[in-house]
Order: sequence, then C-alpha cells, then structure tokens
Amino acid sequence: MKKYSEFLSIMIIFSVLSFSLQAYAEDREITLGGKNFTEQYLLTELAGILLEKSGFKVNMKTGVGSVIARKSLENGQFDLYFEYTGTAYTVYFAQKDREIMADPDKVYQWVKKADENKGLIWLDPILLNNTYTVMMRQKQAEALGIKTISDLAAYVNTHPDELEFALESEFWERPDGFKEMMKHYGFRLPPGQVKKMSVGLTYQALKNGHVNSAMGFATDGRIAAFGFTSLTDDKSFFPVYNPAPVVRKKILDTYPQIRSLLKPLAASLTTYEVRILNSKIDVEHEPVRKTAEAWLRSKDLIK
Amino acid sequence: MRKPVSTIYRALLMTVLFIAGILAQRVGLITYITDPYEYPVILDLLLRHLYLVAVSMSYATVIGLAAGILFTRKRFRRYAGICMYILGLGQTIPSLAILALSMSFLGIGTKPAIFALTIYSILPIARNTLAGIFAVPASMIDAGRGMGMTSLGILLEIEIPNSMKIILTGFRVALIINIGTAALSYLIGAGGLGDLIFTGISLMQTEKLLAGAIPITLMALLADLLCELLGLILVSKGLRLSRGEKAV
Repeated sequence: MKKYSEFLSIMIIFSVLSFSLQAYAEDREITLGGKNFTEQYLLTELAGILLEKSGFKVNMKTGVGSVIARKSLENGQFDLYFEYTGTAYTVYFAQKDREIMADPDKVYQWVKKADENKGLIWLDPILLNNTYTVMMRQKQAEALGIKTISDLAAYVNTHPDELEFALESEFWERPDGFKEMMKHYGFRLPPGQVKKMSVGLTYQALKNGHVNSAMGFATDGRIAAFGFTSLTDDKSFFPVYNPAPVVRKKILDTYPQIRSLLKPLAASLTTYEVRILNSKIDVEHEPVRKTAEAWLRSKDLIK
Repeated sequence: MRKPVSTIYRALLMTVLFIAGILAQRVGLITYITDPYEYPVILDLLLRHLYLVAVSMSYATVIGLAAGILFTRKRFRRYAGICMYILGLGQTIPSLAILALSMSFLGIGTKPAIFALTIYSILPIARNTLAGIFAVPASMIDAGRGMGMTSLGILLEIEIPNSMKIILTGFRVALIINIGTAALSYLIGAGGLGDLIFTGISLMQTEKLLAGAIPITLMALLADLLCELLGLILVSKGLRLSRGEKAV
C-alpha cells in the first residue's frame, strides 16, 4: 500500500511539473513562417535564433508559397514571417502604381498602412532588394549581345524558337511575374519553351544548359558562383522587394520586445551580406542554421 | 426490387453531379478551363502527363515482366527473393526522393522523370508476375511436360495465360500509382498536370488546382476501366471469375 501511494505521489508531482512547464512554454511560444527559397529559410532562421536566445519557444514552418504564407499569417497559423514590400503591393493588394512600387520607402509606407487595418504590423524593413531577376549564362549573353530585358525581348521577337526559359510556376502566374513581364516588354515566348520547375532548380537548369535563360532572385549567391549575368530591368517592370518581418498585432502587443529583438537584422543585413550568406548555403552547402548562427555571432548579436 | 434501388441511385448520382457542377462554377473552374487562352495550355499539360505515364509504363512493363519471368526459371529461382527485395527498395523510397535522386545524375527534364516513374512502377508488375507464375499448379506444368512441350511452350501456353489475371492486377496497381506520381514530375521540369496543381497550391488558386487534380483522377479511373477491358481480352474465358464472385 505504501509503495503504491509513493508511486502515486511521484506521478502527481511529475504531472504537475510537466503541466506547468508546458504552460510556461506555451506562454512564450511563437510560430515563424517562411516561404520556399534560400533567403527565406535564412531570414526565418536568423529571426528564430534571435527569438530563441531571448527565451521564446520558436516553431518554424517554412517552405510554402507566397499566398499561403500570407493566408497563414491572416489566419493566425503564422505569428510572424518575412514578406517583401513589392510582393505585398503587387500580389496581395493588386496595385500597379509604378511610381510607388519603384520607391523603397513609398512602397513600404503604403503596405504598412494598408496592413495596419488588418491587424498586421510591418516591422523595420531590411534594406536589401531581393527582386526577381532574369538570368543568362554570361558567355551566351555576351555572344548574343543581350544585356537588358529589352535586348532579350528583341532577340526573342526575331528568333522566336531559340531560347528556352526556366521558371517556377508561381513566378509565371504572379501579377509581377513572367506573363506580365512579357506584356510589359512586348514579347511572347511560345509556351513549349517555358520550362516550369521547382524554385531552386532554375539555377541548375541554366548552369547545365537545359535552358538559355532562367528566373532567379537577385540576392542568390549562385548567380555569381555559376557565372550568370542578371539582365537589367531597363523598363523598370519589377517593384522593390525589401523584406520586413510582418507580425500579427495581437502577438506584438503581448510581446512588444519582438520589435527591438529583430531590429538589428534591419540595421546590419545588406544585399551584399545576404548574397554571401545565400551562397554559403547554396554553393558551399552549409546548413542554414550554422550559417545563420555564425553570422549573428560575427555581428555580436548572439554570444 | 431492382428498379427502385437503381432509381434512387440515379437520383443520387444526378444530385452529386449537380452539386459538383455548382461548386466547379463557384470556384471559377468552368471559366478557367473554357478560357480560349488557357485550355490549349491545359491540354498540352494533359498530353505531357499522358506521355510520361505511357513511356514509363511501357518500360516498367517490359522490365517487370522480364524480371518476373526470369526469376521463376529454375536456374534463377533462388535469387528471386533478393531481387524482389532490391526492386522493393525502389518503392519504399518516397516518390519525391526518387525524382530528386534521378535528377542528380540525369539532369532536369523529361528523362529523369521517366526514369523515376519507371523505377517506381516496376515492383508491382514484377512481383505479381512472379507470384502469378509461382501460383500455377505444378500438376499443370507436369501435364504440359508430359505432352512433350518445351520450356518456352510451357511458359507461353501454360504459365503466362494462367497467371495473366494476377499480372494484370499488378499492372493496374502500377499504372494507377504512376498516374498519381507523375504529377510530381513538374518539380524537375518535366511538365504534366502537376504544374497546375503546384501553381494552385502556391497561389491558392482553387480553379487551377482542380483543373490539375480532376483530370488526374479521371485518368486513373479510366485506366482502371481499361485494365478491366484488357482483362477481358487477355485472360482466357475459362479462367475468368464467374459472375458474382469477388475479385481478390
């Protein structure tokens, strides 16, 4: 009998303990979302580490498309994720004003204001511009004399069956994507020459010569490493894409410290640095977490 | 007794179709697939999908049958277990991983997709061929031998016809898995209806998602039906199940 009661009391103590621990953890739990390409994995990891070090229990849910990420934030399945000003402006708010979307500050203010009514708060933007870019192999681009997207358009118009293009289906469909870009620059690639694939593969496809041109992200380290050139967007079709943490107001009200915790990212992450970090992940195949931690340590943001 | 049941059944079916129609209209599916600029694209993707399935299935059938027959021969019989195990590995690896692996040495595009789909479809065919031939009663083979048939004759006249039903079941399973898995080949640049599904997912466009998913479902159902018909042609009359008996 005695043994039994002893056992029971231990069980009770354990369950109370674990319960309170769980309750404590739930108190400071935050769900970080992220999209499906390298820079997003990196940004989410950076924010995750910063929040973890100050006592948050961080759940990471990365790897979704833009619209899903946005919907998840609206539904409260994400508490915070990094969104790009240009994406929010053109895709979620379906705006087209070129004067606003070409100006980093204007477009940030615009989306910030528009989202305030929806209970979503844009924190300090990171001043790197991760725009979509049209890439070609440097050698081929030089041989064909293509430097800008206009050159590409002119070339496609005179040689319609020659160039093949690798892209992701999201980029094909988006209002700031390939279909609209072709309209803007006045050319049309036959559908058979557009190869759609998963987002990180376009670089590989271009490198291995499966295609002549591909979409990429401006901050991706593989552009330089694989000897690609980014064609100039000479008719300024693409908006400015500055990433900024977007957080639900409810979460920010509960933990106002998030704002100051993530501020250092905005202050010290530049296009140049993120390109190096991205290339560490994609070219040298370092784990995302290791890269993120090393960078934070080098900036004295964590110990 | 038969009539009211079928009336109810028909009424139910009509209601379901009606509701499906309303839903399709509501999510914009009808507008999307009848858009003169969009339906050639959808058709093109559908044909690519069919092409991937057809090519990979023909390879898989040839390899699967050959492996199945080879490992039921006396000389190779003792390797049957290990070989099926190796083929089985192909199926235990997640389909996405096979795609990724085949991409790493075949590059991007149609080739790796067909390779991956083939690997993925061999096992059910090979295993069922093996099981089917092993299940042929030894007495039948003895009888054949007693009549002076050669080994080839026994294979073609006794073993294969008698195991045809089981082989076809394997083929059917492989085909249906193949049709579904081919949707993933979009990811490595091989096209197919997966294109629409993944676009639909990443941009939450339900009409695109459905325009990709519904044809795949229909294709699988149709393939099932075709296999049924193929059974009527290939399985000899005497071996067909009598009416009302349940298929295994």
